[in-house]
Amino acid sequence: MARKFLPYFYILPLLAFIAVFTYIPIATSINLSFREWDFMSATKPFVGLENYQLLLTSTEFWNSVKITAIFAIISVPLRLALALMAASFLTSEKFAPRMLRGAFFLPSVTSTVSIAVVFSWVFSTDYGVANALLKHIGVGKIPWMQDPQLALLVLILVNTWKQIGYDIVIYIAGLQAIPQELYDAAAVDGGRRFHVFRRVTMPLVMPTTYFLLVISVIEAFQVFTIVNVMTHGGPASATDMLVNMLYRVGFTLFDIGTGSALAVLLFILLIALSLIKSRVIGRKVHYEA
Amino acid sequence: MTRNFIKLAGASLIALVGSAHISMAATTVTFWHSFNPEKPNGQALEKIIDNFEAANPGVEIKPEFIGNYNDIVAKLQAAIPAHREPDAVIMEVTRYGLFADRGVLTDLTDYVNNDPLKEDLFGFAREVGVFEGKNYIVPFNSSTPVLYYNKGIFERAGFTEEPALKTYDDLLKVSKQITEKLGDDGITGIVAPGQFARWGLVMDNDSDLIDSKTGEILLDSDNTIEAYQWMASLVHEHHVASPDGVTDEKKGGRDAFLSGKVGIMMNSTGNYVRSKKALGDDLGVLPMPCNKVCSVPIGGAGIGILSTAEQDVKDAAYKFISFAASAESNAIWFSGTGYMPINKHTAEQDLAKDALAGKPGIDVAINQLDFARGRPRPPVVTWMRASEYGLWEAMALGQRDVKDVLSEFATKTREEAARLAK
Repeated sequence: MARKFLPYFYILPLLAFIAVFTYIPIATSINLSFREWDFMSATKPFVGLENYQLLLTSTEFWNSVKITAIFAIISVPLRLALALMAASFLTSEKFAPRMLRGAFFLPSVTSTVSIAVVFSWVFSTDYGVANALLKHIGVGKIPWMQDPQLALLVLILVNTWKQIGYDIVIYIAGLQAIPQELYDAAAVDGGRRFHVFRRVTMPLVMPTTYFLLVISVIEAFQVFTIVNVMTHGGPASATDMLVNMLYRVGFTLFDIGTGSALAVLLFILLIALSLIKSRVIGRKVHYEA
Repeated sequence: MTRNFIKLAGASLIALVGSAHISMAATTVTFWHSFNPEKPNGQALEKIIDNFEAANPGVEIKPEFIGNYNDIVAKLQAAIPAHREPDAVIMEVTRYGLFADRGVLTDLTDYVNNDPLKEDLFGFAREVGVFEGKNYIVPFNSSTPVLYYNKGIFERAGFTEEPALKTYDDLLKVSKQITEKLGDDGITGIVAPGQFARWGLVMDNDSDLIDSKTGEILLDSDNTIEAYQWMASLVHEHHVASPDGVTDEKKGGRDAFLSGKVGIMMNSTGNYVRSKKALGDDLGVLPMPCNKVCSVPIGGAGIGILSTAEQDVKDAAYKFISFAASAESNAIWFSGTGYMPINKHTAEQDLAKDALAGKPGIDVAINQLDFARGRPRPPVVTWMRASEYGLWEAMALGQRDVKDVLSEFATKTREEAARLAK
């Protein structure tokens, strides 16, 4: 009997850890999403689906969904394409590629707040480095952080720059796992570089692409720090992505019930997206050469 | 050898028990504040704390720099349900009403009434701590906005003597001249007003955001709309204020002025010492303009005590609060930062006398007190101020019409006030 429960006993500490830091907060969030609370009141009256109704009928919420979707649609393919391209040139174990791998990976381990602060200086309209450099080639001042479209584009660029190193490293591992014989066979058959990439590399690196796709879509929907530091969701709500809205509603407007409802909706949205990806793309992924 | 070891162990045990006893005897007050220890304001606060601890060996003040006033509000909210709140906290004078209303702050009325300090505080300083007839905070850093200008930039822009800066038109005219003459050098006329200055400019236009007496929401009154239209026009119509100061009030606004890139800045008098350090003799300080009337808001913050603190901690915290508002401490604070004196006897202190004599312009905020007004602080103000930033951005960048924005904002604020009152 004791032998039967021993394995469970061994995983108990980890289960307790996950419960405290994941499951209990999720359950608390779901509970709070049906209540009205401002962090300070002693009571948390039950309001049913009122918070959800408020969100689903508000233009602000749908604006945030739209902006987050645009951010994900542009930034995820951009990240993956650039990362695969860079990784293709960096698989060699020579000195220069190894140095470059390190250089590309550096932003991934740098504080996001520091990166966001530096880039907000870089893209400042009147006092920024970007416009100062453009001035030398005769380009006028560009309102990077004040134009709604440009502000979103800047966030996409900064996020791509920050995350691409991680994608490159994962892609390099995927590329190095492709058997050399397949490339040799393709060369014997007279395959050109592009064709070899399309017919050999792309299909065999698909499991890596699928993994990165799942991870980067989740990341794109959860992006917060660079938004909060660089734009605060502005100008005119043009970069007010879902998690930024969640923070604003919960922590600056004191509506923790609606903030929790937003967190639950985001959770459902991410599960739905993962299921769709699994159905549409997952089935086309082959894990053997 | 063994005997020596036993002696040493015994001595260590006695020392350990003794030190534990000492540390248990001391009352520790955790104190959240908004003054960066690396800047003059934070250094002045540290000096006051050191003086207090030297005079009160039984009390230890544990200061924690949290960030700006908004950061304190956000972090405090998260800390309360987690039972990790401090014992004492700096709260901005219009934002503490919500916390007082929800019972988070201790009613300090009895402490204040039994404290001789009460008679020493200026009337405005006593008033800012009162919410619905009870005292919840004691002022520490009181301020009004003032008008800072860069004499060097004025001179380069062709002003041989100090121009009139009394009305909106005056400000615009001077800002235009600076931008036209020095724009190619990357210099702009005026910093896009920050939220404190915006509130001041609305009051200068004979209006307010919320009526301090009746609590009526005045966001959509004609004079408020007119003031916002003028402020927004500085950025998107006249291009005399950098849009960087709109999207980032600190870096694009104040920091640009401190680095000599802007001619005029309206900001808290608490920026005086920092500005003086940055611009030296080039710094000029004037009262806020009087567009339709002369009226400035009283800002800054006071220290409150959390209702969850133990009684002995509350007593120790109040002792510190009272010490921090004493004439001696207030003189350190006034001379080290530029914030206004709150104690009637501060000016009698040598430090304050030296500051008044040797730091020209530091007295401008004091001279404005004749027309300074406390601002309303009902619970909805915290929500209103947090919401205003994004709307101002849209108005100043010309992305939304000022009248539409403020009408909609007024309606939402009324709804939120009603919800909070439930």
